[in-house]
Amino acid sequence: MAETSTSEGRKKSLSTYQIAQIIIGVLFITYLTWRLYTVLIVEGVYGPDTWLRFAITGLVIGGVYAVIAIGYTLVYGILFMINFAHGEIMMLGAFAGYFVFEALNVVIIDPINKVTFSNAYPVLAIILAFLTGMIVSSVTAVTLERIAYRPLRTAPRLVPLISAVGASIFLQNLAQLMFSPQQRTYINPQALERGAGWTVIVNGNNVVIPYTGAFTFIVSIILMVGLYLLVKRTRMGRAMRAVAENKQTAALMGIDVDGVISQTFAISGILAGAAGVLWGIHNGVVNHYVGFIPGIKAFTAAVLGGIGNIPGAMVGGLFLGIIESVGPAILGIDFQLKDVIAFSILILVLIFRPSGILGEVLSEEKV
Amino acid sequence: MPNYIRNGLRSGFVFGIVIIFLILIGFTRVANELLAPLVKGTSQLPMGFILFMALLGLWAGASAAKRSPVLMGMPDTYQKWNAIISGLIAGIIGGAFVGLFIFVLGSIQTKGMDMRVYLAQLSPDAIKMLTLGRVAWAGAFSIWLIFVITGIAGGLLALFSDSFKLGERMSSSWKNMSAGIGDSAIAKTVNQNAVVRYILYGIFIIILLILPSFLGKYWNYTLGTIGIYIIMGLGINIIIGMAGLLNLGYVAFFAVGAYTVGLLTAPAPQGLHWNFWIGLLVAMVMAAFVGWLLGIPVLRLRGDYLAIVTLGFGEMIRVLVRSKALSSIFGGPQGVRDIAGPMIFGQRFTEREYLYLIVAVIIFTIFITIRLQNSHLGRAWGAMREDQTVAQAMGINIFRYKLLAFALGAAIGGLAGVMFASRNQYTGPEDHTLMVSVNVLALVIVGGMGSIPGIILGSFVLKGLPELLRQIEDYRLLVFGGLLVVMMIVKPEGLWPSKRRQLEMSDVDLPPETDALQVLEEQSSDQKLRGES
Amino acid sequence: MSSQNIVLETRKVTKRFGGLTAVSGVNLVIPEKGIISVIGPNGAGKTTFFNCVSGFYQPDEGEIIFSDRNNKHVDLVGFAPDNIVALGISRTYQNIRLFANMTAVENIMVGMHPHLKTTWFEAILRTPRLVKEEKDSITEATRLLQFVGLAGAGDELARNLPYGAQRRLEIARALANKPRLLLLDEPTAGMNNKETAEMTEFIRRLRSELGISIFLIEHDMHVVMGISDYITVLDYGEKIAEGTPEQIQKNPRVIEAYLGRGAAAGLHKKSAAADVVAQ
Repeated sequence: MAETSTSEGRKKSLSTYQIAQIIIGVLFITYLTWRLYTVLIVEGVYGPDTWLRFAITGLVIGGVYAVIAIGYTLVYGILFMINFAHGEIMMLGAFAGYFVFEALNVVIIDPINKVTFSNAYPVLAIILAFLTGMIVSSVTAVTLERIAYRPLRTAPRLVPLISAVGASIFLQNLAQLMFSPQQRTYINPQALERGAGWTVIVNGNNVVIPYTGAFTFIVSIILMVGLYLLVKRTRMGRAMRAVAENKQTAALMGIDVDGVISQTFAISGILAGAAGVLWGIHNGVVNHYVGFIPGIKAFTAAVLGGIGNIPGAMVGGLFLGIIESVGPAILGIDFQLKDVIAFSILILVLIFRPSGILGEVLSEEKV
Repeated sequence: MPNYIRNGLRSGFVFGIVIIFLILIGFTRVANELLAPLVKGTSQLPMGFILFMALLGLWAGASAAKRSPVLMGMPDTYQKWNAIISGLIAGIIGGAFVGLFIFVLGSIQTKGMDMRVYLAQLSPDAIKMLTLGRVAWAGAFSIWLIFVITGIAGGLLALFSDSFKLGERMSSSWKNMSAGIGDSAIAKTVNQNAVVRYILYGIFIIILLILPSFLGKYWNYTLGTIGIYIIMGLGINIIIGMAGLLNLGYVAFFAVGAYTVGLLTAPAPQGLHWNFWIGLLVAMVMAAFVGWLLGIPVLRLRGDYLAIVTLGFGEMIRVLVRSKALSSIFGGPQGVRDIAGPMIFGQRFTEREYLYLIVAVIIFTIFITIRLQNSHLGRAWGAMREDQTVAQAMGINIFRYKLLAFALGAAIGGLAGVMFASRNQYTGPEDHTLMVSVNVLALVIVGGMGSIPGIILGSFVLKGLPELLRQIEDYRLLVFGGLLVVMMIVKPEGLWPSKRRQLEMSDVDLPPETDALQVLEEQSSDQKLRGES
Repeated sequence: MSSQNIVLETRKVTKRFGGLTAVSGVNLVIPEKGIISVIGPNGAGKTTFFNCVSGFYQPDEGEIIFSDRNNKHVDLVGFAPDNIVALGISRTYQNIRLFANMTAVENIMVGMHPHLKTTWFEAILRTPRLVKEEKDSITEATRLLQFVGLAGAGDELARNLPYGAQRRLEIARALANKPRLLLLDEPTAGMNNKETAEMTEFIRRLRSELGISIFLIEHDMHVVMGISDYITVLDYGEKIAEGTPEQIQKNPRVIEAYLGRGAAAGLHKKSAAADVVAQ
């Protein structure tokens, strides 16, 4: 009977994972409730005005994450690979935008009052910066696909991922060598000056809604809606979805699979470039390292939402942004540790809902 | 457009862009310094730079001509001079790109603007070199001319080499090279014959034992660093090479090992003053425990997710130990100082003795690796790597085996961390950046996954070579990144692959299936007509 | 059949994929040393049913009672595939799934996994127990190779073996687990007449020499009618008939399921039906 008793033991051990899940879940919820209770009711350190500030920061940064995350999700949906260099593509876009603003700031339109081009025509300047950023990033993304990913399309999945890691290191160091490691400050047009904003009085305190923040959020929403329509409504979007579903069949239906993949990279590059310029406008500083953390965060956001799922990436991005800004306050820990919170949330979500919030079905099968 | 013209245009375009990038990253200046000794002249010209450009021009022309139909085995359709025209066009176009770029740079320079504000490498001296010390248009035109001439020469060279079948010989020798050490007869004997292999290991060990006495402190230290990377490579090999689990955050285990031994033995911030050896054991257990703990939630995820979660985890540990809020526990950004080490005759180990210790640890790790590889664990991992579903249908508890691989790999990573921290008598957050993980991963991949000699070779190539090439140190990471991409395209199984891996890599991978797809597949297996497989 | 002679019994096993019911309330009994076949037209749910038994799918309803090596009854529902294997059920695959880059012996040794007792720690220390276990494994693997007629092919990589040998190796790998019940998914798929006859004979030997019960999916009607004790016919996930080969050949519902109503009306002779069914 020894055999059967072990087999029954095994049956129990099958659910240890579920037991662990329950324990972790209960612990987490208890901790969270306790922290919420202390922070909100007992201590009451933060008034509604502070929470509003957190929410604004979170939404703005979350919008940028969402835009970058869409790039990851698009590529993942089609090639089942993490475009590890996506953050670097965004960084190059941020640099492109920086140079455009810098150049337009040198051009003086009105010599008497020293009005620069970017202050005389701020809308034009911003559009130019975005266009340049998008083009640079898009060209980089497409070139990258051609050189580093296309030859590896049938290789085991580790291979393109490592190629992507290599490309990421390459691009980062290329930027460092070209532009030097120093930080650079975006010169925004005066209309979008950093720090300035609308003031709202909440709870007797001033809460500033920064112009750059509002701008960033609105632009990211526009980009998301535009992308969603592009994928859902256009012929190109249909082709992309077909290729994501099944490359062979799509090819048999007369779809140029290579072309569609290039287009996908182009679009993800455009989004990354726009996100880079937004990042520069809102945060103000650019260097060669600026793409790394947002890149990883955006990937986290894409996974949170359910990778391969475009609305999921959007939701995941905004969710992550808010978690990051609100989380440290709720848990009462140092704000430096917001990255830790982001990854803990990722791990928690993966424990309880491996398919992400809006879920694509995942399984071990794909390891 | 005829083929040969298109080839010329394409080659010119590519080379033009690449050279502009080389100028932007300042490599032309380094090339000038590197090549200058070859062409010692009395002239004021930057001869090294001119030679570099000429070589690139030759290459551009040759690569354009080589693709031309006459050399691709279609003799009657085209004339031989088409190859030269290809070269010429490549020269003209490439030269035009570069010349124009140099002209623009030179012109801006004469306006008195310092471009270094924007593009770090374009110092006035660098631009003076680019324009050959002349006015902008003259310099640009000279460069263009050099390119055109060498482009034609390149075309001629391609023709010439073709008539002597040089190309074929070169490409076959290239093939031999790219087939790599793993295919060579020596490697085959080494792979197949256990006795020869052990003898080779023996020789290697003896060299390692004798060598340190002849080397100075610096080289002992450098070799020690390479050794620590070998240990880490062997550790991550258990995770990636044996169990097939992608881990981009291996540095986390390294950090756990380094910090555990640091906090247990150092006077601050904990002041525990434990014995080094006890600290070492605790650090290994701790690292294994952390690996196990991390494994529980993430090992059910598929490879890509695993990659990103482990990567995040690696960064998370760095952020934690760096955090000022936790500095009373981990020492904050300053790290942990005065970490204890092993003692000999009441003295701390010197660099040389540490090297011996590291070699001993490497041998220990190799021993463990071989034992694991040749046991039922190695077989179970191999089965999992190949077909997880079937492995499970053979009664292998996938999850448990993955956890085991993770924990064992982590323990060895922790051991490497202990060596590192104790040798430096210090560890801090900046010792544990993502680059460590990437380096370790890369050395395993460049060397050959699952292959012990491959990992050792990979460590020497990736960590040792840069020490020899100090002049291009700035470009180390750039080259490294590019090398990874090229390696994946040309030789994904590594320089010295294990036999098994080579077989696996030569498989055409099935397209990744989604769950839905799999259900469909299982269903349609009912529907499939009987057919020859 | 008395109850202790039953190796596997399924009760109302149902499996749904979204709106599609792939297997619907199937009852089936496999007696000890029996050779039981499941047949049915394409898409009838045979492989899905197989996957439910081997644990790769969890049935939505029903029970799967297995009597393990100690005649203890276990409900397999909720078990992971590796646990089910350990209880004594092995399987093969329709489209041979060997570990292609391992040798034949290694493949079989992987199959022995549930019987290995040593731990990773012993593997590193290479204790006498482990050395003995390894040695025994290799002996046993060699014996199994001989049993399936592949003596001497032990060091051959699985991918280099000819097709028929791969099928045999896959069965040897399944036998390494010392199963009480063996699930064979179309063991003669892609074989010519001679090979098919050999395989049929081999399956009989499995029963007579090793005393294993065999559960079979097969499309080749000659094979099915030749070796099965009982046959279960599935159509659209439901069991439409059950019985000895003779009964099945006569059953009008089976003929109808395979050939459609019109064709069934025109066919009366059992032999004719069987021939047509067998293509």
